[in-house]
Amino acid sequence: MEAALKSLSIVLDPSHFMFLCAGVLVGLSIGILPGLGGIVGMSILLPIIYGMDPHSAFALLIGMVAVIPTSDTFPSVMMGIPGSSASQATIMDGYPLAKKGEAARALGAAFTASLIGGLFGAAVLTLIIPIARPIVLAFGSPELFMLALLGMSMVGVLSGNKPGKGVLAAGIGLMIGALGDAPAVPEYRYTLGIEYLMDGVPLVIVGLGLFAFPEIFDLLIKGRSISEVATLGKGWLDGVKDAIHHKLIILRCSIIGVIVGFLPGLGGSVVDWIAYGHIIQTTRDREDFGKGDIRGVLAPESANNAKEGGGLIPTLLFGIPGSGSMAVFLGGLLILGIQPGPAMVTEHVDLLYTAIWSLALANVFGAGLCIFLSKPITRLTIIPFAYLAPFMILIITLASYQASRGWGDLIALLVMGILGWVMKQYGWPRPAALIGYVLSDNIETYLFISVQRYGISWMTRVGVIILALIIIASLALGIFYQRKKTPKARSESRDYATQASQR
Amino acid sequence: MRKTCMLLGMAFFLVSSLGLAPPAQGVDFSGKTIQWIIPFKVGGGSDVWARLYAPFFKKYLPGNPTVAVKNMPGAGSITGGNYFHTKARGDGLTVFGSSGSTSFPYLLGVSAVKYDFTKYHIVFASPTGGAAYIKPGLGVDSVKDLKGFKTKLNYASQGATSLDIIPLLAFEMLGLDVKGVFGYKGRGAGRVAFEQGETSIDYQTTTAFIKNVRPLVKQGLAVPLMSWGILDEKGSVVRDPVEPDLPSFPEAYEMVHGKKPSGPAWQAWKAFFVAGFGVQKAMWLPEKTPEDIVMAYRTAAAKILKDQEFKKVIEKSLGGYQQLVGKEARMAFNEVLSVSPESKKWLINWLKERYDVTVK
Repeated sequence: MEAALKSLSIVLDPSHFMFLCAGVLVGLSIGILPGLGGIVGMSILLPIIYGMDPHSAFALLIGMVAVIPTSDTFPSVMMGIPGSSASQATIMDGYPLAKKGEAARALGAAFTASLIGGLFGAAVLTLIIPIARPIVLAFGSPELFMLALLGMSMVGVLSGNKPGKGVLAAGIGLMIGALGDAPAVPEYRYTLGIEYLMDGVPLVIVGLGLFAFPEIFDLLIKGRSISEVATLGKGWLDGVKDAIHHKLIILRCSIIGVIVGFLPGLGGSVVDWIAYGHIIQTTRDREDFGKGDIRGVLAPESANNAKEGGGLIPTLLFGIPGSGSMAVFLGGLLILGIQPGPAMVTEHVDLLYTAIWSLALANVFGAGLCIFLSKPITRLTIIPFAYLAPFMILIITLASYQASRGWGDLIALLVMGILGWVMKQYGWPRPAALIGYVLSDNIETYLFISVQRYGISWMTRVGVIILALIIIASLALGIFYQRKKTPKARSESRDYATQASQR
Repeated sequence: MRKTCMLLGMAFFLVSSLGLAPPAQGVDFSGKTIQWIIPFKVGGGSDVWARLYAPFFKKYLPGNPTVAVKNMPGAGSITGGNYFHTKARGDGLTVFGSSGSTSFPYLLGVSAVKYDFTKYHIVFASPTGGAAYIKPGLGVDSVKDLKGFKTKLNYASQGATSLDIIPLLAFEMLGLDVKGVFGYKGRGAGRVAFEQGETSIDYQTTTAFIKNVRPLVKQGLAVPLMSWGILDEKGSVVRDPVEPDLPSFPEAYEMVHGKKPSGPAWQAWKAFFVAGFGVQKAMWLPEKTPEDIVMAYRTAAAKILKDQEFKKVIEKSLGGYQQLVGKEARMAFNEVLSVSPESKKWLINWLKERYDVTVK
């Protein structure tokens, strides 16, 4: 407690505070730019922290990484383009809301959810530190494999009424993920002798290709503005009210976010999809999901901010980064001369609290600034898209080029973009493909390790059995609700049809 | 904030123009930017290593050029190495940072490798160390007990052609029955697997060993076995000064087998040990670099190692190992370059027979 207060006074000290604010500003800018996420932010800030005192450096880096999932909502909601890999699921309902002219409401709700999720993450980080080690150690490779499978089981609900296409799309994603170096044997797959493919297709390119490209194409073909109505509807305050009304959703998804962040190796890029899938699965009236249901915005946005708090645990206590940005953060720790490990809780407890306070404060500033900015920015949605498109294409190309800085990035973006557009045209669920892609490495690696180490007996581990039951329950729940929904939906459409014919 | 920055900038400019006038010699990098190609991602071990050195090269190279780290990850560092080989000009403005993962495919004769260390000029090299430990309760209290030890062990590995060649071959030479479990992402994940009980024998670099394994030893959760050792001036492998209580691998071998290590397995082990640990990371200038530029770099490196501030950096972030400059670095790296074709062949064959891995 004393250490916590001491760290608070350090963080609030003007010189440190300045770094926290600088970090928040960098994070907000990077989040707003489509495709750029925590890895880019960390890479930009890493050279600066050399020779800094660790508290300032922590304030800067954590301030930055904490607010990316807040501001990356802007492009996701307003343009249907993922602001970073953490906000891909926000598109599903955020963007339809913007089309209806309710961008401000969606943003208000998203930022409130982000704020609560972020604070929740920081709080959990504080409480869980003493018991974090045994929990992390309870998840061996077989359990991590089952968790990846649980993520895959979301494909069903995310594919709506096209489960067959969803499974196939996930298969396409798995195959894209299998390109390049194999995770466990020194072999390269399907590289066709092209050096670029040796490392596989980068996540940012798959994300932008599948989601951003098709959206830009279609908007240009239609030749209109993003919002289908000329006036902007409900304001951000309505969004805040929505968030308060659905507080339980936010709480549940924050917990999901912390857990996914907390478990090393699962990767933060699926947290938004898992939260989104979870909320569809556990909701009875799910007809509006994908058409602008505010709950579909709240779920991923609370989870992706909460994840950052969870993600610090394996990084600081074990030196194993849970996500790409945490891997760079780990390098930052080494530059500062700090070896992560159990000593973080004994020798560096003040730094740990600095991290927590930075996380909490950054979330408050980030959400505040974003709400402040949202009014002018939402006006972009009523501009004819032809004016915005060149700028968007430029940014997306640049963001893709960041991935490995070679020609291959641009070609890969084009190929993925065409794939995404074709999928969109023919109604193939792109989220399913993305989930398959993101989880392919985990699924293969952990299955490979489990079988090597335990043979067939890995399936008899308690954790594995529990997770298997959860997967079965989650699938059953999805099917159950789907069945219940279908007759009702049919009758609704019949009503609509009769109405239309009467007219 | 802005004002302070400007003031700082002006102060820096004044100090640098007054105090550090360029020395009277031919080489002058003033106003230039030097690209230091690191064939790995931002935040990785090699990246951190280069970023720790970079500001000191700015300080000590004639003309105080900006030294920018350029990350070129890809194909396990082959992409960056090949880029350096084909694109770098001998003007001293492009340098390369290699690591053990760059040297291994070179030594194994991987066909994608175009770079050739025999052609470049080494500036300095940084060694690192590693130490192995085993699960308690197996009847092993020190490395001596490994004599005739037959229990099956598991080791978490990134892959048979990675730096893990060194632990895997060392365990085999000690007569241990160790199964490599492949697919783990780095040593950190390997250590967690050990703590989870997924594996029963492991190694860490000495810095990670001190921070993460010693606490386990204290709690009775791990038994330290040996360090790999370090390379001395004569080119033999001796005890690691960072872990002086632990026997080196050659000592461990002697304790188990009653004789000093020799033969093709030992030759191969030593060659790859030097490439992977003894001179793990090195800075290189391209082939056609004039002598005076090479000298300017080596002089700068020598000055850096005498810098009091940098000594702290070595202690804190580079494991406290003696860094090698110029001739010392060249001699140490010669151990890597002079690996006999027989040793290479032996190792490639061993990988094939033991792990069914074909080097392409």
